[in-house]
Amino acid sequence: MLDNVLQLTVNGLINGTSYALLGVAFSLILGVTGRFHVAFTFTYTISAYLAAVAGERAGLPFWAALLVGAAVGAVFGVLMERFIYRPLAARGSANTLLMIFVASLGLSIIGRNVIGLIWLSTTSEQINSFTNAGINVGPLNFTTIDVVNVVVTWTLIIATSVLLSNTKLGRSIRAVRVNPEMSLVVGIDPGRVFLAVFAIGSFLGGVGAVLTATKTSAVPDMGFNPLFYAFVVAFLSGLDTRPVRVGLVGLGLGLVESWSEIWLPTIWTSLVVFAILFVYVALRPVQFRLLFHRFAPRRAVKA
Amino acid sequence: MELALSYVDQILIFAIFAVSLNLLLGYTGQISVAHAAFGAIGGYSIGYLLLNNHVPVLAGLGVAIVAAGLVGVIVGIPALRLSAEWLILLSLAAQTIIIALVSTSSAFGGTYGLQNIVGLSVFGHSLTNPSDRLPLFLVCFLIVYAICWRMGESPYGRVLRGIREDERACRSLGKNVFAYKLMVFGVTAAMAGVAGALLAIDSSLAAPALFGFDQSTTIIAMVILGGMGSLPGSVIGAALLVLLGPFFERVLNINGDVTFLWRLIAYGLVLVLVMLLRPQGLLPDPGAPLRWLRGRRARAGGGSAEPVLADTALPSATAAAAAAPAALPALERNGGDIVLEVSDLSKHFGGIIAADGLAFALRRGEIAALVGPNGAGKTTVFNLLTGAIRFDSGSVVLHGHEIGGMTPNQVARRGMVRSFQDVRIFPFMSALENVMLAFQEQPGEHLASLFGRPGVTAKVEREVRERAVEWLRFVGMDALAAMPAGALGFGQQKLVALARVLATEADVLLLDEPASGIDQQWVDVMLGLIDRVRAAGRTVCIVEHNLHVVERLADHIYFMELGRITARGSFDELTAMPNLAKAYFGTA
Repeated sequence: MLDNVLQLTVNGLINGTSYALLGVAFSLILGVTGRFHVAFTFTYTISAYLAAVAGERAGLPFWAALLVGAAVGAVFGVLMERFIYRPLAARGSANTLLMIFVASLGLSIIGRNVIGLIWLSTTSEQINSFTNAGINVGPLNFTTIDVVNVVVTWTLIIATSVLLSNTKLGRSIRAVRVNPEMSLVVGIDPGRVFLAVFAIGSFLGGVGAVLTATKTSAVPDMGFNPLFYAFVVAFLSGLDTRPVRVGLVGLGLGLVESWSEIWLPTIWTSLVVFAILFVYVALRPVQFRLLFHRFAPRRAVKA
Repeated sequence: MELALSYVDQILIFAIFAVSLNLLLGYTGQISVAHAAFGAIGGYSIGYLLLNNHVPVLAGLGVAIVAAGLVGVIVGIPALRLSAEWLILLSLAAQTIIIALVSTSSAFGGTYGLQNIVGLSVFGHSLTNPSDRLPLFLVCFLIVYAICWRMGESPYGRVLRGIREDERACRSLGKNVFAYKLMVFGVTAAMAGVAGALLAIDSSLAAPALFGFDQSTTIIAMVILGGMGSLPGSVIGAALLVLLGPFFERVLNINGDVTFLWRLIAYGLVLVLVMLLRPQGLLPDPGAPLRWLRGRRARAGGGSAEPVLADTALPSATAAAAAAPAALPALERNGGDIVLEVSDLSKHFGGIIAADGLAFALRRGEIAALVGPNGAGKTTVFNLLTGAIRFDSGSVVLHGHEIGGMTPNQVARRGMVRSFQDVRIFPFMSALENVMLAFQEQPGEHLASLFGRPGVTAKVEREVRERAVEWLRFVGMDALAAMPAGALGFGQQKLVALARVLATEADVLLLDEPASGIDQQWVDVMLGLIDRVRAAGRTVCIVEHNLHVVERLADHIYFMELGRITARGSFDELTAMPNLAKAYFGTA
């Protein structure tokens, strides 16, 4: 029993680490830009596929393939912001949230199915340049990729944290998050900051995707569940931009989800996250100030 | 022939999905990505009952409707209290979980689903061939369409569009926004249940793949393509996207698994391209927000807003005075008895004291003014009185009843209504609709009377329209009644907002800076109107910076600083106080 609990704890920490990275990536995008970026699924998935291509077909070493994959994800994220979201937001409609959501949903579907078409015969891509081996510590089992995942993810989360608090770019990002109009006045271009945020967020998501694909494999639908977890973590942490805190929320979610297996059959564990979200939302005071501020529909008619 | 009819069947099913989602998305402005999952509830309910219990098809359909509606309400309760993005998130979760549950449950056939739902009949009429199914599907579609049309194009739909445009303003006019949203969410989920049940009958199958996230997205694409807020548009959108499948197979000769991928890519392209190129969709709803995206505001107004206000819109004093007695039901003046009594009202936000032991009373037929420097907490007082913010301690007694703890809509229905500093007009509704929305107890705003007493509903609707025109005439805006309120100038919007507040027939009016941000000529119009409102025996409290306004209107002035009332009296009394005269009124 105790061994079981310990093993579940380890699993929870490993899964939670993945959720942490997703949450950090997503809350950065959603929190700073306010874009309901469903097409995160696409930048996520394409990162995994292209890392596989870079590793297997082009023969790059694992770490180089990881970087290539995540960088491609970042490029796609930037392109979407620049050529889809920004023009839509620039119209200043009363319903920007909806428009960007719909367009992003469209991008997400296109991306998923174009990947399905390109990889029609194989469907999944393996990343074999990393030799995954089992590790046993006493009664606990995990693998080398899990260790890599934990080390890389928390390094990145801390790096993001440092970037936000100690660099000029980071200060600009925080300024834009609080007040885009005002930051314009003090000489920060919110448009460029948005691009940077999409690059960083998509890159972080891409790293997570490559690590996940290395453990299992890259499949066209692999982005959907991560999007859901990314959403949940981002919302539960109130779109806090302090990455470490967002990361801890993700970690906690992973632990709770994993521990629930002690009492629940495995097929029900997916319900646990839903239940957490449900209870949290139900108990939440009506006024959710930060989101209110970010998503309050821009008045169509200015005074 | 049967093949062609099978497409017609499919179109009818997806038209039910799309029309119902449109009521939620286009009219009410609530984004749900779980519509196919609610369809799954319907499809699996009827499939399970038909296979295991051999119930009649119509009974199974009834269960499907109820089950889907109930699940919709359960999902909606937590999400609808919050802003839109929570609904997206929770509906995404619901979509995932519902499909995950049915595809892991052995009772529902796992990933293969419930198969071989065949040999069905309704009243002895077999449902084996597409042509057999057509009458049933057509009847279901017509019923759903009729209900959606009735809910959308009626006083009920006016409230829904009000919610889409400004929930807070809607609540301030006495509408129980949450109840409306929940009702629409439940009803549209139940309709999705109908479509899901028909889809299961049509496919002889209830499987996870029929009701997945892709399917939800497809339905959204149909609504977006057809035009949000346009029910015929949704039918066209459904038809076009359903026919895309045969188009790929027969015209482009793309077959097999690839068809499915191409279709989804096409749906995705529809979403992106419609948003970029024609956000209003094929058949735009005349009042829909997205129609106004592409710089059409000025054109639709029939000219720029500004010249209109100077000449035609300004009410001549005599005309307005003539209209006033008719429009304002004469309330009896009871020599200024107390209508609203506030005592010891306090509110702290963390360490910030927004209101500290406030005590004042509003008397019938009098105008009170809250004045004071920025940040004194004047607007907060309105928020506290109307229940937008709960106070920590104290009491607010309106007409002898404690109203502390009530929601804004309850307070409004008790007869105290506020206006907003930033107007909060419904920009994509006409000025007339803005005012019509404000009337209380309209039978057309309740489903029971909307469907049960159509005659009464229509009669009251005509009366409401006439009276709304009278109110617009009272504020001098009747000539612009048909204009989208967002296309009006700011001063005109303030007048429409005043008409809106007056039309609630609340006898306590809290007006937040009624004369700020508008030209002097408009200020005079506004003051004249408020003066007449007082003369009709209503009770008014204004927050105002403009001392000219305060001097002319206020019978009684409360001076606020840092959440406290530090001085009170008439204008002359306050200006005579040396400390106030220097700090606030200027040593004039």
